[in-house]
Amino acid sequence: MSKSLNDYAAFLDQAAAEGREVPQISEDRAFTVDEGYAIQALSLARRYARGERRVGVKMGLTSRVKMTQVGVNEVIWGRLTDAMRVEEGGSISLARYAHPRVEPELAFLMKAPLAGEVSAVEALAAVEAVAPAMEIIDSRYRNFKFTLPDVVADNSSSSGFVLGGWHSPTLDFSNLGLVMEADGRAVQVGSTAAILGHPVRSLVAAARMVARWGESLKPGDIVLAGGITAAHPLAAGMHIRTQFQTLGALSFSVKE
Amino acid sequence: MTSHLITDLAGKIHEAWSTRNPIAPIRDHFAAADTDAAYAVQNINTTRWEAEGRRLVGRKIGLTSKAVQKQLGVDQPDYGMLFHDMEVPDGWEISRKDLIQPKVEAEIAFVVGRDLDEENLSIAEVIRAVEYALPAIEVVDSRIADWKIGIVDTIADNASSGLYVLGGSPKRLTDIDLRLCGMSLDCRGEPLSTGVGAACLGNPLNAMWWLARTMARAGRPLKAGDTVLSGALGPMVTVQWGEVMEARIEGLGSVRGDYSKE
Repeated sequence: MSKSLNDYAAFLDQAAAEGREVPQISEDRAFTVDEGYAIQALSLARRYARGERRVGVKMGLTSRVKMTQVGVNEVIWGRLTDAMRVEEGGSISLARYAHPRVEPELAFLMKAPLAGEVSAVEALAAVEAVAPAMEIIDSRYRNFKFTLPDVVADNSSSSGFVLGGWHSPTLDFSNLGLVMEADGRAVQVGSTAAILGHPVRSLVAAARMVARWGESLKPGDIVLAGGITAAHPLAAGMHIRTQFQTLGALSFSVKE
Repeated sequence: MTSHLITDLAGKIHEAWSTRNPIAPIRDHFAAADTDAAYAVQNINTTRWEAEGRRLVGRKIGLTSKAVQKQLGVDQPDYGMLFHDMEVPDGWEISRKDLIQPKVEAEIAFVVGRDLDEENLSIAEVIRAVEYALPAIEVVDSRIADWKIGIVDTIADNASSGLYVLGGSPKRLTDIDLRLCGMSLDCRGEPLSTGVGAACLGNPLNAMWWLARTMARAGRPLKAGDTVLSGALGPMVTVQWGEVMEARIEGLGSVRGDYSKE
Protein backbone atom coordinates (compact mmCIF):
# COMPACT_ATOMS: atom_id res chain seq x y z
CA MET A 1 0.00 0.00 0.00
CA SER A 2 1.39 3.40 -0.90
CA LYS A 3 2.10 5.90 1.85
CA SER A 4 -0.17 8.88 2.46
CA LEU A 5 1.00 12.47 2.84
CA ASN A 6 0.27 12.05 6.54
CA ASP A 7 2.69 9.11 6.69
CA TYR A 8 5.45 11.31 5.27
CA ALA A 9 4.51 14.08 7.71
CA ALA A 10 4.85 11.64 10.62
CA PHE A 11 8.17 10.42 9.20
CA LEU A 12 9.63 13.95 9.02
CA ASP A 13 8.14 15.02 12.34
CA GLN A 14 9.81 12.08 14.04
CA ALA A 15 13.14 12.78 12.35
CA ALA A 16 12.96 16.41 13.51
CA ALA A 17 11.98 15.44 17.05
CA GLU A 18 14.89 13.00 17.27
CA GLY A 19 17.44 15.20 15.46
CA ARG A 20 18.07 12.39 13.03
CA GLU A 21 18.91 12.18 9.30
CA VAL A 22 16.50 10.42 6.94
CA PRO A 23 16.41 9.70 3.18
CA GLN A 24 14.61 12.16 0.94
CA ILE A 25 10.92 11.57 0.33
CA SER A 26 11.58 12.12 -3.37
CA GLU A 27 13.70 8.95 -3.33
CA ASP A 28 10.55 7.09 -2.30
CA ARG A 29 8.13 8.76 -4.70
CA ALA A 30 7.85 11.84 -6.88
CA PHE A 31 5.73 14.64 -5.40
CA THR A 32 4.89 18.27 -6.08
CA VAL A 33 5.75 21.45 -4.20
CA ASP A 34 2.06 21.77 -3.26
CA GLU A 35 2.15 18.27 -1.78
CA GLY A 36 5.33 19.35 0.01
CA TYR A 37 3.41 22.21 1.66
CA ALA A 38 0.59 19.79 2.57
CA ILE A 39 3.12 17.47 4.24
CA GLN A 40 4.62 20.49 6.07
CA ALA A 41 1.17 21.50 7.41
CA LEU A 42 0.42 17.93 8.54
CA SER A 43 3.83 17.63 10.15
CA LEU A 44 3.40 20.94 12.04
CA ALA A 45 -0.08 19.83 13.16
CA ARG A 46 1.66 17.03 15.04
CA ARG A 47 3.85 19.56 16.83
CA TYR A 48 0.86 21.71 17.74
CA ALA A 49 -0.88 18.60 19.08
CA ARG A 50 2.10 18.09 21.39
CA GLY A 51 1.65 21.62 22.73
CA GLU A 52 4.01 23.63 20.53
CA ARG A 53 2.67 26.99 19.46
CA ARG A 54 3.15 28.69 16.08
CA VAL A 55 4.98 32.00 16.64
CA GLY A 56 5.63 33.07 13.06
CA VAL A 57 7.10 32.06 9.73
CA LYS A 58 10.47 31.86 8.03
CA MET A 59 11.27 32.62 4.43
CA GLY A 60 13.84 30.65 2.43
CA LEU A 61 15.65 30.83 -0.91
CA THR A 62 15.45 34.62 -0.75
CA SER A 63 18.80 35.21 -2.41
CA ARG A 64 19.57 34.82 -6.10
CA VAL A 65 22.53 32.63 -5.15
CA LYS A 66 20.34 30.14 -3.26
CA MET A 67 17.60 30.18 -5.93
CA THR A 68 20.23 29.35 -8.53
CA GLN A 69 21.70 26.61 -6.30
CA VAL A 70 18.32 24.90 -5.97
CA GLY A 71 17.31 25.81 -9.54
CA VAL A 72 14.10 27.67 -8.70
CA ASN A 73 12.70 31.14 -9.12
CA GLU A 74 10.41 31.33 -6.09
CA VAL A 75 10.96 31.78 -2.38
CA ILE A 76 9.73 29.16 0.09
CA TRP A 77 8.35 29.40 3.59
CA GLY A 78 8.11 27.39 6.78
CA ARG A 79 6.55 27.74 10.22
CA LEU A 80 8.27 28.78 13.45
CA THR A 81 7.15 27.40 16.80
CA ASP A 82 7.91 28.51 20.36
CA ALA A 83 10.07 25.38 20.79
CA MET A 84 12.48 26.71 18.15
CA ARG A 85 13.32 29.85 20.11
CA VAL A 86 16.90 30.12 21.36
CA GLU A 87 17.70 32.81 23.92
CA GLU A 88 20.03 35.58 22.78
CA GLY A 89 23.33 34.81 24.55
CA GLY A 90 22.06 31.32 25.36
CA SER A 91 23.11 27.94 24.08
CA ILE A 92 21.84 25.07 21.99
CA SER A 93 22.48 21.39 22.40
CA LEU A 94 23.89 19.66 19.30
CA ALA A 95 22.11 16.43 20.29
CA ARG A 96 18.80 18.02 19.33
CA TYR A 97 19.90 18.44 15.70
CA ALA A 98 21.04 16.30 12.79
CA HIS A 99 23.64 18.60 11.16
CA PRO A 100 22.77 22.18 12.07
CA ARG A 101 24.03 25.27 10.31
CA VAL A 102 23.53 28.93 11.13
CA GLU A 103 22.86 31.92 8.93
CA PRO A 104 22.37 35.62 9.66
CA GLU A 105 18.86 36.94 9.07
CA LEU A 106 16.66 39.95 9.64
CA ALA A 107 13.45 39.48 11.68
CA PHE A 108 10.17 41.39 11.55
CA LEU A 109 7.73 41.64 14.46
CA MET A 110 4.17 42.14 13.18
CA LYS A 111 1.76 44.58 14.79
CA ALA A 112 -1.14 44.17 12.35
CA PRO A 113 -2.49 41.25 10.32
CA LEU A 114 -1.09 40.86 6.82
CA ALA A 115 -2.06 38.38 4.12
CA GLY A 116 -2.47 38.16 0.36
CA GLU A 117 -1.27 40.58 -2.29
CA VAL A 118 0.17 43.60 -0.48
CA SER A 119 2.51 46.41 -1.46
CA ALA A 120 5.84 47.02 0.25
CA VAL A 121 4.37 50.15 1.86
CA GLU A 122 1.41 48.17 3.26
CA ALA A 123 3.73 45.43 4.48
CA LEU A 124 5.98 47.90 6.28
CA ALA A 125 2.96 49.59 7.89
CA ALA A 126 2.10 46.24 9.51
CA VAL A 127 5.55 45.93 11.11
CA GLU A 128 6.06 46.78 14.77
CA ALA A 129 9.85 46.39 14.79
CA VAL A 130 12.87 44.86 13.08
CA ALA A 131 15.70 42.94 14.74
CA PRO A 132 18.99 41.31 13.79
CA ALA A 133 18.54 37.56 13.89
CA MET A 134 20.17 34.22 13.23
CA GLU A 135 18.44 31.08 12.06
CA ILE A 136 19.62 27.60 12.87
CA ILE A 137 18.70 25.49 9.88
CA ASP A 138 18.85 21.73 9.99
CA SER A 139 17.64 19.74 7.04
CA ARG A 140 16.39 16.39 8.20
CA TYR A 141 17.68 14.91 4.95
CA ARG A 142 20.97 13.07 4.62
CA ASN A 143 23.91 15.34 3.68
CA PHE A 144 21.61 18.40 3.59
CA LYS A 145 20.64 17.29 0.05
CA PHE A 146 17.07 17.72 -1.16
CA THR A 147 14.73 18.64 -3.99
CA LEU A 148 12.42 21.65 -3.72
CA PRO A 149 9.34 19.59 -2.64
CA ASP A 150 11.54 17.75 -0.09
CA VAL A 151 12.75 20.93 1.61
CA VAL A 152 9.25 22.41 1.65
CA ALA A 153 7.88 19.23 3.28
CA ASP A 154 10.69 19.49 5.85
CA ASN A 155 9.41 22.88 7.08
CA SER A 156 12.03 24.60 4.91
CA SER A 157 14.84 23.23 7.13
CA SER A 158 13.68 25.42 10.00
CA SER A 159 14.84 24.34 13.43
CA GLY A 160 15.83 27.30 15.61
CA PHE A 161 16.17 31.07 15.75
CA VAL A 162 17.81 33.73 17.86
CA LEU A 163 16.67 37.36 17.96
CA GLY A 164 18.67 40.47 18.86
CA GLY A 165 17.24 43.77 20.04
CA TRP A 166 14.19 45.31 18.36
CA HIS A 167 14.46 48.57 16.40
CA SER A 168 11.97 50.92 14.82
CA PRO A 169 11.00 49.88 11.28
CA THR A 170 11.40 53.50 10.19
CA LEU A 171 15.14 52.86 10.22
CA ASP A 172 16.49 52.10 6.73
CA PHE A 173 17.39 48.41 7.03
CA SER A 174 17.74 47.76 3.28
CA ASN A 175 21.53 47.60 3.05
CA LEU A 176 23.02 46.97 6.48
CA GLY A 177 26.37 45.21 6.60
CA LEU A 178 27.09 42.31 8.92
CA VAL A 179 29.87 40.01 10.02
CA MET A 180 29.11 36.55 11.42
CA GLU A 181 31.87 35.16 13.63
CA ALA A 182 32.64 31.70 14.95
CA ASP A 183 34.84 31.94 18.05
CA GLY A 184 35.61 35.57 17.24
CA ARG A 185 36.75 34.97 13.66
CA ALA A 186 34.72 36.18 10.69
CA VAL A 187 33.17 33.22 8.83
CA GLN A 188 30.51 34.99 6.73
CA VAL A 189 30.03 38.61 5.69
CA GLY A 190 27.23 40.30 3.79
CA SER A 191 24.50 42.89 3.57
CA THR A 192 20.74 42.73 4.22
CA ALA A 193 20.41 43.76 0.56
CA ALA A 194 21.11 40.10 -0.25
CA ILE A 195 17.48 39.41 0.77
CA LEU A 196 15.75 40.05 -2.58
CA GLY A 197 17.43 43.48 -2.78
CA HIS A 198 15.38 44.71 0.22
CA PRO A 199 14.16 42.56 3.14
CA VAL A 200 10.66 44.09 2.95
CA ARG A 201 10.21 42.26 -0.38
CA SER A 202 10.49 39.02 1.56
CA LEU A 203 7.69 40.16 3.88
CA VAL A 204 5.54 40.94 0.84
CA ALA A 205 6.24 37.40 -0.43
CA ALA A 206 5.46 35.95 3.02
CA ALA A 207 2.02 37.65 3.07
CA ARG A 208 1.27 36.25 -0.39
CA MET A 209 2.47 32.72 0.32
CA VAL A 210 0.84 32.17 3.73
CA ALA A 211 -2.48 33.37 2.26
CA ARG A 212 -2.20 30.71 -0.45
CA TRP A 213 -2.23 28.15 2.36
CA GLY A 214 -5.12 29.75 4.20
CA GLU A 215 -3.04 31.45 6.85
CA SER A 216 -2.13 35.02 7.66
CA LEU A 217 0.60 36.90 9.46
CA LYS A 218 -0.83 37.92 12.82
CA PRO A 219 0.05 40.62 15.34
CA GLY A 220 2.93 39.31 17.45
CA ASP A 221 4.18 36.99 14.70
CA ILE A 222 7.89 36.83 13.92
CA VAL A 223 8.88 36.73 10.24
CA LEU A 224 12.43 35.67 9.44
CA ALA A 225 13.17 37.32 6.11
CA GLY A 226 15.71 34.82 4.78
CA GLY A 227 19.39 33.96 4.95
CA ILE A 228 21.81 36.77 4.13
CA THR A 229 24.93 34.67 3.59
CA ALA A 230 25.82 31.03 3.07
CA ALA A 231 25.12 28.94 6.18
CA HIS A 232 27.95 28.02 8.54
CA PRO A 233 28.11 24.48 10.00
CA LEU A 234 27.88 24.30 13.79
CA ALA A 235 30.12 22.20 16.02
CA ALA A 236 30.24 21.58 19.76
CA GLY A 237 32.01 24.32 21.70
CA MET A 238 31.46 26.98 19.09
CA HIS A 239 30.49 30.51 20.01
CA ILE A 240 28.56 32.24 17.22
CA ARG A 241 28.08 35.99 17.09
CA THR A 242 26.75 38.24 14.36
CA GLN A 243 27.33 41.96 14.38
CA PHE A 244 25.07 44.14 12.24
CA GLN A 245 25.58 47.71 11.12
CA THR A 246 23.28 49.94 13.23
CA LEU A 247 21.24 47.01 14.66
CA GLY A 248 23.80 45.63 17.11
CA ALA A 249 24.98 42.09 17.78
CA LEU A 250 23.55 38.77 18.94
CA SER A 251 25.14 35.48 19.90
CA PHE A 252 24.69 31.94 21.15
CA SER A 253 26.92 29.00 21.90
CA VAL A 254 26.84 25.35 20.94
CA LYS A 255 27.05 22.55 23.50
CA GLU A 256 27.42 18.77 22.99
CA MET B 1 64.44 35.94 -15.44
CA THR B 2 66.42 38.28 -17.65
CA SER B 3 65.77 42.01 -17.86
CA HIS B 4 65.37 41.51 -21.60
CA LEU B 5 62.46 39.12 -21.04
CA ILE B 6 60.86 41.49 -18.52
CA THR B 7 61.03 44.35 -21.01
CA ASP B 8 59.66 42.10 -23.74
CA LEU B 9 56.66 40.99 -21.63
CA ALA B 10 55.97 44.59 -20.56
CA GLY B 11 55.89 45.51 -24.25
CA LYS B 12 53.37 42.75 -24.98
CA ILE B 13 51.06 43.95 -22.19
CA HIS B 14 51.43 47.57 -23.29
CA GLU B 15 50.46 46.61 -26.81
CA ALA B 16 47.49 44.53 -25.64
CA TRP B 17 46.35 47.50 -23.59
CA SER B 18 46.64 50.01 -26.44
CA THR B 19 45.16 47.77 -29.16
CA ARG B 20 42.54 46.09 -26.87
CA ASN B 21 43.70 42.75 -28.20
CA PRO B 22 44.18 40.38 -25.27
CA ILE B 23 47.17 38.06 -25.09
CA ALA B 24 47.84 34.59 -23.69
CA PRO B 25 48.88 34.32 -20.02
CA ILE B 26 52.53 35.21 -19.45
CA ARG B 27 53.11 33.31 -16.19
CA ASP B 28 54.84 30.37 -17.88
CA HIS B 29 57.84 32.66 -18.47
CA PHE B 30 58.30 33.07 -14.72
CA ALA B 31 59.27 30.90 -11.80
CA ALA B 32 56.07 30.05 -9.91
CA ALA B 33 54.65 33.07 -8.09
CA ASP B 34 57.66 35.30 -8.83
CA THR B 35 55.77 38.42 -7.85
CA ASP B 36 58.95 40.56 -7.79
CA ALA B 37 59.47 39.89 -11.50
CA ALA B 38 55.77 40.57 -12.13
CA TYR B 39 56.01 43.95 -10.40
CA ALA B 40 59.16 44.64 -12.45
CA VAL B 41 57.05 44.18 -15.60
CA GLN B 42 54.32 46.44 -14.19
CA ASN B 43 56.88 49.07 -13.24
CA ILE B 44 58.32 49.27 -16.77
CA ASN B 45 54.87 50.07 -18.11
CA THR B 46 54.17 52.58 -15.32
CA THR B 47 57.34 54.46 -16.26
CA ARG B 48 56.49 54.21 -19.96
CA TRP B 49 52.92 55.41 -19.49
CA GLU B 50 54.08 58.38 -17.42
CA ALA B 51 56.55 59.25 -20.19
CA GLU B 52 53.66 59.02 -22.66
CA GLY B 53 51.76 61.67 -20.68
CA ARG B 54 49.50 59.63 -18.44
CA ARG B 55 49.42 61.25 -15.01
CA LEU B 56 49.66 58.96 -11.98
CA VAL B 57 46.74 59.90 -9.70
CA GLY B 58 46.45 56.94 -7.35
CA ARG B 59 46.62 53.21 -6.73
CA LYS B 60 44.26 50.28 -6.61
CA ILE B 61 44.48 47.38 -4.23
CA GLY B 62 43.46 43.96 -5.50
CA LEU B 63 43.06 40.45 -4.06
CA THR B 64 41.66 41.78 -0.80
CA SER B 65 39.23 38.92 -0.25
CA LYS B 66 40.37 35.68 1.37
CA ALA B 67 38.37 33.69 -1.22
CA VAL B 68 40.11 35.37 -4.18
CA GLN B 69 43.53 35.04 -2.53
CA LYS B 70 42.88 31.32 -2.11
CA GLN B 71 41.86 31.00 -5.78
CA LEU B 72 45.17 32.53 -6.88
CA GLY B 73 47.22 30.76 -4.22
CA VAL B 74 48.48 33.89 -2.46
CA ASP B 75 48.21 35.29 1.04
CA GLN B 76 48.68 38.96 0.18
CA PRO B 77 46.86 41.63 -1.77
CA ASP B 78 48.41 43.24 -4.83
CA TYR B 79 48.50 46.76 -6.23
CA GLY B 80 48.26 48.61 -9.53
CA MET B 81 48.48 52.21 -10.75
CA LEU B 82 45.59 54.59 -11.38
CA PHE B 83 46.15 57.10 -14.17
CA HIS B 84 44.16 60.27 -14.86
CA ASP B 85 42.55 58.85 -18.01
CA MET B 86 41.02 55.92 -16.11
CA GLU B 87 38.63 58.15 -14.22
CA VAL B 88 34.99 58.47 -15.30
CA PRO B 89 32.67 61.00 -13.59
CA ASP B 90 29.73 59.65 -11.55
CA GLY B 91 26.92 58.51 -13.86
CA TRP B 92 28.70 59.26 -17.12
CA GLU B 93 28.79 56.83 -19.97
CA ILE B 94 31.46 54.17 -20.09
CA SER B 95 32.47 53.12 -23.57
CA ARG B 96 32.76 49.51 -24.62
CA LYS B 97 35.54 50.52 -27.00
CA ASP B 98 37.81 51.50 -24.12
CA LEU B 99 37.71 48.07 -22.56
CA ILE B 100 38.33 44.42 -23.42
CA GLN B 101 36.37 42.22 -20.95
CA PRO B 102 35.34 44.47 -18.07
CA LYS B 103 33.94 43.40 -14.72
CA VAL B 104 32.61 45.60 -11.97
CA GLU B 105 33.36 45.84 -8.26
CA ALA B 106 31.98 48.13 -5.55
CA GLU B 107 34.65 49.54 -3.28
CA ILE B 108 35.56 52.23 -0.80
CA ALA B 109 37.98 54.83 -2.13
CA PHE B 110 40.28 56.91 0.04
CA VAL B 111 41.60 60.36 -0.77
CA VAL B 112 45.08 60.79 0.71
CA GLY B 113 45.59 64.07 2.60
CA ARG B 114 49.34 64.03 3.08
CA ASP B 115 52.46 62.43 1.66
CA LEU B 116 53.19 58.97 3.05
CA ASP B 117 56.92 58.45 2.51
CA GLU B 118 57.54 56.46 5.69
CA GLU B 119 58.12 52.74 5.14
CA ASN B 120 57.07 51.68 8.63
CA LEU B 121 53.81 53.54 8.89
CA SER B 122 51.43 52.86 11.74
CA ILE B 123 47.68 52.41 11.26
CA ALA B 124 47.19 55.61 13.26
CA GLU B 125 49.36 57.54 10.81
CA VAL B 126 47.41 56.07 7.91
CA ILE B 127 44.09 57.04 9.53
CA ARG B 128 45.38 60.59 10.07
CA ALA B 129 46.47 60.75 6.44
CA VAL B 130 43.09 59.73 4.97
CA GLU B 131 41.28 62.93 4.16
CA TYR B 132 38.04 61.38 2.90
CA ALA B 133 36.36 58.11 2.11
CA LEU B 134 34.15 57.86 -1.01
CA PRO B 135 31.94 55.21 -2.58
CA ALA B 136 33.61 53.87 -5.73
CA ILE B 137 33.06 51.57 -8.67
CA GLU B 138 36.07 49.87 -10.12
CA VAL B 139 35.74 48.59 -13.66
CA VAL B 140 38.45 45.96 -13.79
CA ASP B 141 39.71 44.60 -17.10
CA SER B 142 42.30 42.08 -18.16
CA ARG B 143 44.73 42.15 -21.05
CA ILE B 144 44.97 38.38 -20.59
CA ALA B 145 42.48 36.54 -22.82
CA ASP B 146 39.36 35.19 -21.05
CA TRP B 147 40.64 36.35 -17.63
CA LYS B 148 42.82 33.22 -17.42
CA ILE B 149 45.03 34.95 -14.89
CA GLY B 150 47.44 33.73 -12.26
CA ILE B 151 48.98 36.01 -9.65
CA VAL B 152 51.92 36.87 -11.91
CA ASP B 153 49.65 37.73 -14.88
CA THR B 154 47.48 40.12 -12.94
CA ILE B 155 50.34 41.92 -11.19
CA ALA B 156 52.24 42.38 -14.47
CA ASP B 157 49.02 43.65 -16.05
CA ASN B 158 48.69 46.61 -13.63
CA ALA B 159 46.58 44.50 -11.26
CA SER B 160 43.88 44.07 -13.95
CA SER B 161 42.87 47.71 -13.69
CA GLY B 162 40.53 49.36 -16.17
CA LEU B 163 38.49 52.42 -15.24
CA TYR B 164 37.01 53.80 -12.05
CA VAL B 165 34.17 56.03 -10.90
CA LEU B 166 34.11 57.97 -7.63
CA GLY B 167 30.90 59.05 -5.88
CA GLY B 168 30.61 62.67 -4.92
CA SER B 169 29.81 62.34 -1.23
CA PRO B 170 33.07 62.48 0.73
CA LYS B 171 32.93 61.38 4.37
CA ARG B 172 35.44 61.66 7.19
CA LEU B 173 36.58 58.43 8.80
CA THR B 174 35.01 59.63 12.06
CA ASP B 175 31.58 59.56 10.41
CA ILE B 176 31.38 56.01 9.07
CA ASP B 177 32.00 52.46 10.24
CA LEU B 178 34.09 51.07 7.39
CA ARG B 179 33.97 47.52 8.76
CA LEU B 180 30.20 47.12 8.99
CA CYS B 181 28.94 49.28 6.11
CA GLY B 182 26.66 47.25 3.83
CA MET B 183 27.22 47.23 0.06
CA SER B 184 24.77 46.50 -2.73
CA LEU B 185 25.71 46.71 -6.41
CA ASP B 186 22.41 47.07 -8.25
CA CYS B 187 21.05 47.00 -11.76
CA ARG B 188 17.39 47.96 -12.30
CA GLY B 189 16.77 47.75 -8.56
CA GLU B 190 18.06 44.17 -8.25
CA PRO B 191 21.29 43.39 -6.42
CA LEU B 192 23.95 41.74 -8.60
CA SER B 193 26.47 41.64 -5.78
CA THR B 194 26.20 42.38 -2.07
CA GLY B 195 28.78 42.60 0.68
CA VAL B 196 30.22 44.61 3.52
CA GLY B 197 33.34 46.61 4.42
CA ALA B 198 34.77 43.69 6.39
CA ALA B 199 35.06 41.68 3.14
CA CYS B 200 38.14 43.80 2.31
CA LEU B 201 40.89 42.34 4.54
CA GLY B 202 38.63 42.71 7.59
CA ASN B 203 38.48 46.48 7.13
CA PRO B 204 39.34 48.64 4.10
CA LEU B 205 41.75 50.57 6.33
CA ASN B 206 43.83 47.39 6.72
CA ALA B 207 44.24 47.33 2.93
CA MET B 208 45.08 51.03 2.90
CA TRP B 209 47.74 50.50 5.56
CA TRP B 210 49.27 47.60 3.61
CA LEU B 211 49.33 49.69 0.44
CA ALA B 212 50.85 52.80 2.03
CA ARG B 213 53.73 50.76 3.49
CA THR B 214 54.21 48.74 0.34
CA MET B 215 54.28 51.81 -1.91
CA ALA B 216 56.81 53.59 0.30
CA ARG B 217 59.04 50.50 0.09
CA ALA B 218 58.55 50.21 -3.67
CA GLY B 219 59.70 53.79 -4.20
CA ARG B 220 56.34 55.15 -5.36
CA PRO B 221 54.95 56.49 -2.06
CA LEU B 222 51.41 57.81 -1.82
CA LYS B 223 51.18 61.59 -2.14
CA ALA B 224 48.66 64.14 -0.93
CA GLY B 225 45.69 64.08 -3.32
CA ASP B 226 46.15 60.48 -4.44
CA THR B 227 43.09 58.27 -4.87
CA VAL B 228 43.20 54.75 -3.44
CA LEU B 229 40.69 52.08 -4.45
CA SER B 230 40.89 49.82 -1.43
CA GLY B 231 39.39 46.57 -2.77
CA ALA B 232 36.08 44.87 -3.54
CA LEU B 233 33.37 44.59 -0.85
CA GLY B 234 31.55 41.76 -2.64
CA PRO B 235 31.88 39.40 -5.59
CA MET B 236 32.94 40.90 -8.92
CA VAL B 237 30.23 40.88 -11.64
CA THR B 238 30.33 41.16 -15.42
CA VAL B 239 29.22 44.39 -17.05
CA GLN B 240 25.58 44.52 -18.13
CA TRP B 241 26.00 46.45 -21.38
CA GLY B 242 23.32 49.02 -22.04
CA GLU B 243 22.53 49.31 -18.31
CA VAL B 244 23.35 51.58 -15.42
CA MET B 245 24.93 49.81 -12.47
CA GLU B 246 24.85 51.54 -9.11
CA ALA B 247 26.96 50.79 -6.05
CA ARG B 248 25.37 51.75 -2.73
CA ILE B 249 27.46 51.75 0.42
CA GLU B 250 25.40 52.28 3.56
CA GLY B 251 26.54 55.41 5.37
CA LEU B 252 28.82 56.47 2.54
CA GLY B 253 26.51 57.13 -0.43
CA SER B 254 26.25 55.79 -3.94
CA VAL B 255 27.98 55.94 -7.33
CA ARG B 256 26.91 54.92 -10.83
CA GLY B 257 28.41 53.75 -14.07
CA ASP B 258 26.39 53.93 -17.30
CA TYR B 259 27.54 51.12 -19.58
CA SER B 260 25.68 52.28 -22.64
CA LYS B 261 28.24 53.75 -24.99
CA GLU B 262 29.31 51.75 -28.02
